[in-house]
Amino acid sequence: MASDDSADVVVVGTGVVGCLIAEQALDAGLSVLMLEAGPRVDRWRIVENYRNLPPSLRLFHWDAPYPPKPWAPHLETRKDKEAEQYLQLEGPNARAYLQGYVRYAGGATWHWAGICWRLTPEDMRLNSLYGVGRDWPFAHDVIEPYYTRAEYALGVCGPSDPASQWPPNAKRSQPYPMGPTPFGPGEHRLTEVAAKIGLMNIPAPQARNSGVSYHGRPPCCGNNNCFPVCPIAAKYDAATALPKIEAKGGKILVNAVVYRIETGNRKTVEAVHYFDPDKGSHKVTGKIFVIACNGIETPKLLLFSKDDRNPNGVANSSDQVGRNMMDQPKLIADVELTEPLWTGVGPVQSSSVMNTTQGEFRNSHAGALLRMENFARSPLGAAAALKKGLVGKALDKEIRRISACTARLTVEHEPLPSPDNRLTLSSKKDWLGINKPNIYYDVGDYVRRSAKEYTVPLLHKLADGLGATSFQLSPEFLNSDHIMGGCIMGTDPTTSVVDADCRAHDHHNLFLPGGGAMPSGTASNSTLTMAALALKAADAIVDQLRHG
Amino acid sequence: MCGAGHRICALLIFFAVPLMVSVSHAAEQPNQHAESAVIERGKYLAIAADCGACHTTPGGKPYAGGLPISTPLGTIYSTNITPSADFGIGRYTEEEFSRALHRGIRRDGAHLYPAMPYTSYAKFTDDDAHALYVYFMRAVQPVEARAPATELPFPMNIRLSMLVWNFLFLDGHAFAPDPQQSAEWNRGAYLVQGATHCSTCHTPRGFLMQEEASRALSGAQVGPWYAPNITSDPVTGIGSWTRDELAAFLRSGRLPAKAQAAGSMGEAVEHSFQHLSAADIDAIATYVKSVPAIHNPAGESRFTAGKMFSELGVLRGRYGISSNNDANPTGAELFQGNCASCHSAEGQGSKDGYYPSLFHNSATGAKDPANLIAAILYGVDRTVSGKQAFMPGFGGYPTDSNQLSDSDIAALGTYVLTHYGPGDTAITEQQVSEIRRGGPSSLLLPLARGGLAAAAIVVVLGAAFLVFRRRKARA
Repeated sequence: MASDDSADVVVVGTGVVGCLIAEQALDAGLSVLMLEAGPRVDRWRIVENYRNLPPSLRLFHWDAPYPPKPWAPHLETRKDKEAEQYLQLEGPNARAYLQGYVRYAGGATWHWAGICWRLTPEDMRLNSLYGVGRDWPFAHDVIEPYYTRAEYALGVCGPSDPASQWPPNAKRSQPYPMGPTPFGPGEHRLTEVAAKIGLMNIPAPQARNSGVSYHGRPPCCGNNNCFPVCPIAAKYDAATALPKIEAKGGKILVNAVVYRIETGNRKTVEAVHYFDPDKGSHKVTGKIFVIACNGIETPKLLLFSKDDRNPNGVANSSDQVGRNMMDQPKLIADVELTEPLWTGVGPVQSSSVMNTTQGEFRNSHAGALLRMENFARSPLGAAAALKKGLVGKALDKEIRRISACTARLTVEHEPLPSPDNRLTLSSKKDWLGINKPNIYYDVGDYVRRSAKEYTVPLLHKLADGLGATSFQLSPEFLNSDHIMGGCIMGTDPTTSVVDADCRAHDHHNLFLPGGGAMPSGTASNSTLTMAALALKAADAIVDQLRHG
Repeated sequence: MCGAGHRICALLIFFAVPLMVSVSHAAEQPNQHAESAVIERGKYLAIAADCGACHTTPGGKPYAGGLPISTPLGTIYSTNITPSADFGIGRYTEEEFSRALHRGIRRDGAHLYPAMPYTSYAKFTDDDAHALYVYFMRAVQPVEARAPATELPFPMNIRLSMLVWNFLFLDGHAFAPDPQQSAEWNRGAYLVQGATHCSTCHTPRGFLMQEEASRALSGAQVGPWYAPNITSDPVTGIGSWTRDELAAFLRSGRLPAKAQAAGSMGEAVEHSFQHLSAADIDAIATYVKSVPAIHNPAGESRFTAGKMFSELGVLRGRYGISSNNDANPTGAELFQGNCASCHSAEGQGSKDGYYPSLFHNSATGAKDPANLIAAILYGVDRTVSGKQAFMPGFGGYPTDSNQLSDSDIAALGTYVLTHYGPGDTAITEQQVSEIRRGGPSSLLLPLARGGLAAAAIVVVLGAAFLVFRRRKARA
């Protein structure tokens, strides 16, 4: 059994990655202690937070139902000024790294869409095939079994027809645990229109129960607020794993902000130190340490833990910690249509055009994923119609028109790892006196070229196909909330931070799994790959503790 | 006259068919076709008797036993009834099998606890018992694994006590058809009193855990769930249901705007009733509709209470946004945050009926809140005709995604009862806690122990008195 200050496996972070590793370790008979910086809040409280928001904050302010604790700040966008309070952003595309994540027990899966794309074999060999970016240290067939395990651990629904599965050129060892979520009317229409211009809109595999219960969670009933919170836990979020972890004997300490990783002789990690909400400091020892705080908080903690033995920060002999920060730079096009489209039936995202992510063109510009947001547009319709000063029947009619006859098309570009896109410690400090993360971000010419020559023209074609009468493109690249790269994986300890099992090259008992380890960002949502890497790391952890 | 003749004729057919089967059996013609027909009938009867409900664990091998059944006297584990010679009933002769089925006596002579509903199975005709025996011995896969042993606390661990119990409460008579009733009614009575053992749950039990025949099917607490009054009383029973409605309920597990099957009844529909023939379901409904009405005291209809309601108008805007779990949330907040996403903000459920309305619903309309509490704690999981009806539990199991405390459930349940139910009933934390522990426990155990202790005290005092008298006599 874990105590409050020691365990076989100490996991920092209670998101999807930390929870998967905790469950695997517990199943192997190891003791597990999890440390979470933020509070543990009941789902119903978060649901009520969301519903108590003013209408203007119901959409696009996915952080709003998660007010942070002073000791565990994260992005807040309720007021313009708040956006700059925690994340310190600079560079030509600072806006594209305005990452929303949740420092609550359960982590950012609280407000993810649940999309679970697998990478393609090509996505893992960018350098060999296209002369850009980095290769993964292992091939697709190595990660495939972990993808399958991750899909069963999270409960992913997806198509059984191989023609609709992604990637199209790699075998699956198991079918999806559940069939796909049916398309709403808007997605049917988009699929038809896309097909006419050679784009294949396919059902998105998603960690959401379709038609049946899974692991004690109910089937999706189409509340259509997957973000900011699934009110019934039909969508997997790591908060649903917490009671299961405790039932297996795992311990979870919340409001425990880890601020230092302590190393000893031979660069073994000896302990982590955390602050409680009264700023009291505590020490936790263990055999294996897992820092599962994703691509911003993990490198921040490594850099903040620098000492005489680790002058650049823990795990940073390569000077790659905090570099190669990636996310899919996003552009959105708001369109008005003559015919009703009716998005909003089913989950907020349920399909994507994927064949635009692959191709020989990747030697000169980024691939990209295109999709249509499937959230109900009635709140936007109501706000816009009221703004026009309409009343009575005219108001109803206009709300209905805007809800039915407008849409948002989105394109997410694949980023390349660049050492200049870098997280450092800001001179500004948070409530506990810990430096805030500072991130320099430039999407690079690879992405800019893609937008200019490839994706924006495609967006126009899609909009024309849908019968758009107006087309409004976002003026700059936006964030996709898929944080990758800050602890990049590779075989060479001088150019990478972790090995193929997400183990730090510098410290044999320190694991840094998750998005930070991914050597390529690709156009696909990152979570399933993070989950697969977590399971791969978990196997390595169990093996290491059994066999030394 | 004509009707009576028809009835007698039908009765003759009802009893002639098994008779013919047994005759052919007596002739001992080894006919494969005949044997597979007997196996099929045995399988059907095992489904009707829902043997798997207790003798198969969820996800376990059929009939391998090991399911823990919590009773007011302690946990009883079901046994392996596969034809394994070492761990199951492989060594049972047909006579021994029949003795266990009809009289609750094991092969080794020990008595079964009446958690095994042999008081109902006593009604099985010899021919049906034979079919069950043939099915279990020939068609069920032997599972070579021992189920955990049942160890009830003293003095219930003395199985011989069941000898007295059986003498008092076991009506060992086979089913006796009523010639005044139709063949369909008699078939229904035979199934209800026997195989489907409805009284096991729906008939209240007396002090010694015996079914109280005088209050047959008038409702009883079974573990965390309450098996309601299913007599023909129009107010507190199901007299307001038509025969067809009852049949539809048994087939599907739900009757819109009235009731849905959860707990053991959900299992009974999933594993048993949905697989029975239309004729048998109709027969069961016909018979149950004829059961004498028993009116529960202080009872109002549990099917008509409540109405559409919401407190959203006062809720929104009053409470802000918080990163703290509330210490004492209101029932209205708990309802909106936990229930409204499926059952709608005003409790009317979904248009397609997948999510039932919370008013005009037996689970919220009953005076006794046990089923409401149990539904919140343990949820509903019932698959009928390949379609699942599912509600997650809210903390009945430690692995549930969303955990509500006893006080949360008391506040939430009271809100639901107040607006969607009878209106004047409050739920206490103690009630929730009792259901969470698995339902009320029996007074029998402490009383039996107390009784034995009292007897011991009497003996000791008596002995002391004698010693005292003798000494006094010597003096």
